[in-house]
Amino acid sequence: MLKSCVLSGCKKLGSLVLRRSVLPEQAGVFRSVCSIPRGASHGPCSLRRLAPSSAACQQRPHVFTACHLETRCYSEVNRENSHSEKDTGVSSEESHERDGDGAFQPFSPGPVDAFTIDVLVSLLRQENAVDMCVIKVPDQIKYTEYFIVASGISPRHLRAMALYAIKVYKFLKKDGDRNVKIEGKHSEDWMCIDFGNIVVHLMLPEIRDVYELEKLWTLRNYDEQLRNIPPDKLPEDFIYDVDITK
Amino acid sequence: MALPQLSRSLTGLLVGTSSIIQQRTFGVSPVAAAIQKMTRVRVVDNSSLGNTPYHRAPRVIHVYTKNGVGKVGDRVLLAIKGQKKKALIVGHKMPGERMSPRFDSNNVVLIEENGNPTGTRIKVPIPTHLRKLEGDFSKVLAIASSFV
Repeated sequence: MLKSCVLSGCKKLGSLVLRRSVLPEQAGVFRSVCSIPRGASHGPCSLRRLAPSSAACQQRPHVFTACHLETRCYSEVNRENSHSEKDTGVSSEESHERDGDGAFQPFSPGPVDAFTIDVLVSLLRQENAVDMCVIKVPDQIKYTEYFIVASGISPRHLRAMALYAIKVYKFLKKDGDRNVKIEGKHSEDWMCIDFGNIVVHLMLPEIRDVYELEKLWTLRNYDEQLRNIPPDKLPEDFIYDVDITK
Repeated sequence: MALPQLSRSLTGLLVGTSSIIQQRTFGVSPVAAAIQKMTRVRVVDNSSLGNTPYHRAPRVIHVYTKNGVGKVGDRVLLAIKGQKKKALIVGHKMPGERMSPRFDSNNVVLIEENGNPTGTRIKVPIPTHLRKLEGDFSKVLAIASSFV
C-alpha cells in the first residue's frame, strides 16, 4: 500500500526529463531504478524496476508514515543520446541496471586504485543522490571529459555528498594529482567539485530547474535559453583597436 | 562595451571607420591597466539586470584585489542601474600572457554573494585558463556556451 502510493504520487520530475529530449534523432531511453530499502519494522524490501520508454517517474525521497517507517527512495536517470550529425556528438554513459534484492553491487569488483568515473558514480549512488545525470563531453570542448549533475534533498545532503566524494578522492589519489576543493562551500544550493577530467555539480532541485545545465551540455548550441538571448548589436561607432603590440 | 561617447584611436592616428568617429576631436590612450575603478564594463550573461537598458553604463566601483587592478578571474563591485552588484571579470582589452586570449571589450559576469551567477547562460566565449586560477569558477564555466 505504501509502495503504491509512493509510486503513484511521485512528482513528475520526469516531465523535465521529457522536455529535454528535443532532437528527434535522439533515442531517448530513460530508465529509472527505484529501490525501497529495508524498513525497521517491515519485512524484506522489494525492488521495483521501472523501465518506461517514454516517461520516467522520479521520486522525491521524503516519506514518513504513521508507523515511523522511513523510506528513502532514490532514482537515477542516465540518458542515452545517440550521435547526431548536427550536434557535436554528445553521448552519455550507459546506465547500469541494478538487480538483486537492493544490496549494493559495485560495478568494478575488486580493488579500486584510481578515482574513475565509475567510482564517483557509485559513491554518489550510495549517498542517495537524486536524479544523477552523467554527460560525456565531446573532445571538441576542451573543458572536461565527464560532466555530472546530481540533486540532493537538502543543503546538508549536498554537503555530505561533496565531502564524501572529496574524502574518497583523497584516499585514492596518487602523489602527482592535484588537490581538489569544493567550490560553493558557503552557498546552500549549489556546490561543485572539479576533478580535472570530471566535474560534479550538486544542486538542489529548484536551482537545477533554473539553470538547466543538462540541457546546455547536451544540446550545446541548440539550447533554448541560449537561443532566447537576443543577438548583440554593436553600436555604430564601435571600432576595434588597432593591434597593440606588447 | 563601447558607448556612443567613446572612440578609440592611437595618438596621432585616425582609424577610419564611420563618419561619426572622424568628427571626434579627442584621442584616447591605449589600455594601461586592465580593469580598475570607474571603468565601464560589458555584462555578458543573460541576466535581466545586465541587459535592461539604462542611461548609464555599468561601472566598476571597487576591485577586490591587493592592487586596484582587475584581471581575468578577479571579483569586482559594479554599480548597475543604481544598485551595487558583485561581478567576475572574464575578459579584458589589455593584453595578458602570451598565448592567452585578449578580448575587444571588458567582459564581466554578474555574481551573487555566494558565488552563484545571476544569469543562466553566457554566449560570449570564456577563457579556459580560468580553470587553473585560484577561485570558484566552475559555476561560471558550467553556464558558458563557448570557450576560447
